[in-house]
Amino acid sequence: MEKLLEILKDINPNIDYETETRLIDGGLLDSFSILSLIPELEDAFEIEITPVELIPVNFNSAKAIWSMISRLQEE
Amino acid sequence: MTYNSILYIFLFLPVVLLSYQLVPKHHRPKVLLLASYVFFYSISGKLLVYLLFSTLAIHYIGLWLSYSRKEYSDRKEHPVNEQTADDKKALKAAYTRKNRGILWFGIGIQLSMLLILKYSDFFGGNINQLLKLVSSPVLLPAFKFALPIGISFYTLQAISYLVDIYYQKIEADDNLGKLALYMAFFPLLMEGPICRYSQTAGTLYEGKPLEYKNVTFGMQRVLWGLFKKLIIADRLNMLVVTVFDKPDHYSGITIIVAAILYTFQLYADFSGCIDITIGTGEMFGVTIPENFKQPFFSKSASEFWRRWHITLGAWLKDYIFYPISLTKFVKNLGKSSRAKYGKHMGQIIPSSIALFGVWICNGLWHGTGWNYIFFGIYYFVLILLGNIFEPLIQTVAESLKINRNSGIYSALQTVKTLLIIFTGELFFRADDLGTGMRMFGSIFTGFHFNTLTNGSLLKLGLSLGDFIVVLFSLIIVLTVGILHEREISIREKIAGWNIALRWGFLYTVIVLVIIFGAYGGGYIPAKLIYAGF
Repeated sequence: MEKLLEILKDINPNIDYETETRLIDGGLLDSFSILSLIPELEDAFEIEITPVELIPVNFNSAKAIWSMISRLQEE
Repeated sequence: MTYNSILYIFLFLPVVLLSYQLVPKHHRPKVLLLASYVFFYSISGKLLVYLLFSTLAIHYIGLWLSYSRKEYSDRKEHPVNEQTADDKKALKAAYTRKNRGILWFGIGIQLSMLLILKYSDFFGGNINQLLKLVSSPVLLPAFKFALPIGISFYTLQAISYLVDIYYQKIEADDNLGKLALYMAFFPLLMEGPICRYSQTAGTLYEGKPLEYKNVTFGMQRVLWGLFKKLIIADRLNMLVVTVFDKPDHYSGITIIVAAILYTFQLYADFSGCIDITIGTGEMFGVTIPENFKQPFFSKSASEFWRRWHITLGAWLKDYIFYPISLTKFVKNLGKSSRAKYGKHMGQIIPSSIALFGVWICNGLWHGTGWNYIFFGIYYFVLILLGNIFEPLIQTVAESLKINRNSGIYSALQTVKTLLIIFTGELFFRADDLGTGMRMFGSIFTGFHFNTLTNGSLLKLGLSLGDFIVVLFSLIIVLTVGILHEREISIREKIAGWNIALRWGFLYTVIVLVIIFGAYGGGYIPAKLIYAGF
């Protein structure tokens, strides 16, 4: 999780990722930010993120992103 | 037969509603499917065979994808020998390759039909032009095929069905009838909207009984669609046809007026048709996705495309933008751009490739002409520039202490966006790119203020009375738009009125459509514009 928070901070350091639960719905991260986040996540956690994962519910909070990563690692 | 015809409103739709209600529940989807094929046949005749082939193709390829995935799951869950992590990876890679092959085969079938039927004339013609330039003795034979109605819409639905199965978003359906109805449901055939299997197939096949609220709300929505189509769009068509059919006869303010009124015509025509579609669906208890959300209130070109033809934008985002963005090449480009040019350009450079794909597809989807390709590139460039300069605009606004959330700033942004839209639609409506360029240039070379006062605008097919009717109707559309923007449901409000007031109001709208509808003698019959795409 710490590694994830580090990557997220690098994308936008002005967001409190530990408490924020509306990263997408609240417009804090746009689709361009998400698309630059994906290669970072794929490299750091050895996963493959497909277009079907690109839904707000997977990216609305650090916790949601983490649970998507964990799920993809298990697959 | 079209949605705004007497045959559809007073015969076809009531007969289908009645038959649907009278048969047992499990036969209702069959009534809808039969009605859909009758509707299709009434417009495109034997070309129905293309729709049937598309449906059968996605049915079997969907099942093939599903079978292949099951085979992989079985092998993964019950391996013959003990597997190492590398074996598992290899199995997954082999399965992914196989399924990707099946998916591309399925998409290939759908796209080849669309490309051959819709684009062979355009691409063949352009290749021949090039061959003539190099004095080639050989030219490609010219083919022009008759287009089945709705091919641009149902092909995208077919592709989304296969891709969604591939990504395990939905299961392949072994019920061919359900899939056939998803592809052919008659209210969707002419102008969409482009639905997803997960959105409509279930409720379409449910065979819900007709309910008073659904039928009355649906009829009101159909009436609203007819209001927009018959009173606004078909009336404006007179002026639009006059100017765009003889573009070299007009210049300056006349071209500006024609471009603005064409934009309103297109909106009233397309959104009016979508109202009829959604209203018809509602009568059968089927929820069809919205395709418009007050597009003229947008503050940027990209916001406009999130509010106009929403289902096409969403389709292009899900099936073009994301897949291109997630290719290895684009991801690597993003990483290297980020390292070289920093965060902002590291986002812009890779996404511009995906955006380019989206806008070329958007332009080409609309039609086969260079003006449509120009239309797509026009929006690509504007949206890209907006993204590139966003940080600079933000910095300038902060240093000049401009509040970007203020009413004045928002109003200026809306005006800027309207100018972008009107200009885009000028090229979109022009016969070809050259004509569009000439018309755009003549705005400046032939600009005279006295066009507004010398009565020449009243010689373009619309009388002063027509202009007044259009103006009042547009004010009504604007008012409804403002209420919808505030999330006020007008139909719920009407439902709360007493019976006399409610029916008095509805009859007034019906009478208005009958009296002020632009049909019959003196008007040019206007086709549904998007049905031609």
